[in-house]
Amino acid sequence: MTETVLSIKGLRKQMGGKPIIKDISFDVYAGEVFGFLGPNGAGKTTTIRMLVGLASADAGEIHIGGISLHKHFPQAIAQVGCIVENPELYKFMTGRENLEHFARMSGGISRERIEEIVRFVDLQRAIDDKVKTYSLGMRQRLGIAQALLHNPKLLILDEPTNGLDPAGIRELRQFIRRLAEEEGLAVFISSHLLSEIEMMCDRVAIIGKGKVISVGLVKDLMEQFGDQVEWSVSPETTEAASRILRALPFVEEAVASKEGRIMCKMDTERIAEANRTLVLQGIAVLGIAAKTVTLEDLFLALTTEEGGAEHGHAGPGAK
Amino acid sequence: MGMLDLVQNETIKILRRRRFLVILLILAILIPIFTYAQYRSVLTAQEQMGTSDWRALLQQKIVDTQNRLASSRLPEEWREFLKITVQQQQYYLDHDINPMAPGAPTFARGFMDQAISLFLPMIIVVLAVDLVSAEFSEGTIKLLLTRPVRRWKVLTSKYVTLLLFTSLTVLMTLILAALISGVVFGYAGWDMPVLTGFEIAGGELETAGVFALPQWKYLLMQYGLGWFVSVVVGTITFMVSVLVRSAAAGMGIMMAALISGAILTQMASSWESAKYLFVVNLQLTDYLAGTLPPIKGMSLPFSLTVLTVWGAASLVVAYAVFIKRDVTS
Repeated sequence: MTETVLSIKGLRKQMGGKPIIKDISFDVYAGEVFGFLGPNGAGKTTTIRMLVGLASADAGEIHIGGISLHKHFPQAIAQVGCIVENPELYKFMTGRENLEHFARMSGGISRERIEEIVRFVDLQRAIDDKVKTYSLGMRQRLGIAQALLHNPKLLILDEPTNGLDPAGIRELRQFIRRLAEEEGLAVFISSHLLSEIEMMCDRVAIIGKGKVISVGLVKDLMEQFGDQVEWSVSPETTEAASRILRALPFVEEAVASKEGRIMCKMDTERIAEANRTLVLQGIAVLGIAAKTVTLEDLFLALTTEEGGAEHGHAGPGAK
Repeated sequence: MGMLDLVQNETIKILRRRRFLVILLILAILIPIFTYAQYRSVLTAQEQMGTSDWRALLQQKIVDTQNRLASSRLPEEWREFLKITVQQQQYYLDHDINPMAPGAPTFARGFMDQAISLFLPMIIVVLAVDLVSAEFSEGTIKLLLTRPVRRWKVLTSKYVTLLLFTSLTVLMTLILAALISGVVFGYAGWDMPVLTGFEIAGGELETAGVFALPQWKYLLMQYGLGWFVSVVVGTITFMVSVLVRSAAAGMGIMMAALISGAILTQMASSWESAKYLFVVNLQLTDYLAGTLPPIKGMSLPFSLTVLTVWGAASLVVAYAVFIKRDVTS
């Protein structure tokens, strides 16, 4: 039985008379990395601000480790470590002074624990330098150190890879997996970058326009869509080829996208079988490409259905 | 998690931001300048009168003022003010007390008389103006408010720290003023009697309640009033710091208020309801010295009440807004 670390029910919020968050509910369990996906403007940051008590909710309940955030704020928030947007620490103090500052606010954190966390994020050499001399990557690590200092059950990261280089992103990814798998933390990550969520997360919630569109295992969500195969044939046989493919029992769908191209929804393991059928019927197959559906495709499809043209904003960053 | 830990945090931040250092530097630079100016004016007065006898100087001052009073073009309020000044100087002369006897304590007394309505409040503004707003503008508020500490406690720790440093600032003003000016004027005069207890009744100086106080006691009372003014100005600035995110804007608001207060006290004698503004009630030491207040109907208890109400209202607003407000970037 996995423990529910974060439970959100019926969260709503209005800002300036407009409903920003309409109805958000989901649970996050211990030991999993949970992705919170949505285009910019979907309400991700507002939701996170409510999760950590920076903003108040109009309706709905947030429980952390079974404790109501609204009713028992100190006890509930004591189990949370977070970085909302950029890790903004006191630049005029050293890394160590920053950690000591937050340690005093949490209470009961020993000097050894600070040493331990500094080693954990590998900042031993720079910890006594002023934060303004730190690189972005170092600030990010100090941000993680302050978030983990008090041994939280839930780690909340808002767009954690913003501004990191590819090596930094890879490092962060491994780090987060390790926290969830070895330390049993629940990690909640928001992002509009799908590729990274896909690699990091066990489950995702996809939101658009202030509502949850879909929650589930990354694997399950992707299976719903199945694999796609793109066939290239000589242009004059496009029609015939798609007719043959459609007739096969294991092909769900075959659409001639343009001259000589056919998109098929089918099991990739049966490509050879389909190919043989086509060749035997005199179709010249020029190329076969198996395409695995990415979370990105899924995301686009889901948010287009529900959210109109909004997905367009996610485009440029979603590499 | 105790309040002491939180106050320690805030103290470290003020010190690391070098706010207090800046204030000490301002004092350490300006006090010698004022000392020198004071020194020059004593010299000039002696040269003009051709004497260093304070009785002759004071007598000359009284004659000067009476000559001005003889001029018919003087506005009525100004005439009253001068009359009271003459009466006071005459009292000092009659009782053989030199009100301007040079020395570190006399300088410190004069300095607070001058500083209480503008200079000291401005220094406090420098200390308090970004106490809260810097956390917002630097984004650190997100880390500060996601700790197991209620918001009112976070704000209280900031306010307690402000009170601490305000007190320290007033104390350092006294110490630095006495130490630095003493180099020029000497350190004597702590026991010199200073007259207080003047009352103004219907434009006449009431000397019935006047009594002499050793200067050190008078200084304590004076700096106590300076402390009170500083606390109130600090509290109002604290509210501005909660309401306005930019330190520059907060500084602008407080400067404008303080300077317009200084201007109003010069010219508001006919606009009576201006006495409910906090900025015209800052010159508390004048009540000790027996100077006519800028607006009729003002007295020490009145000014103290006005300042207390302003301070309390500011605190209520600061807490209400800080506790309720959503943190957005």
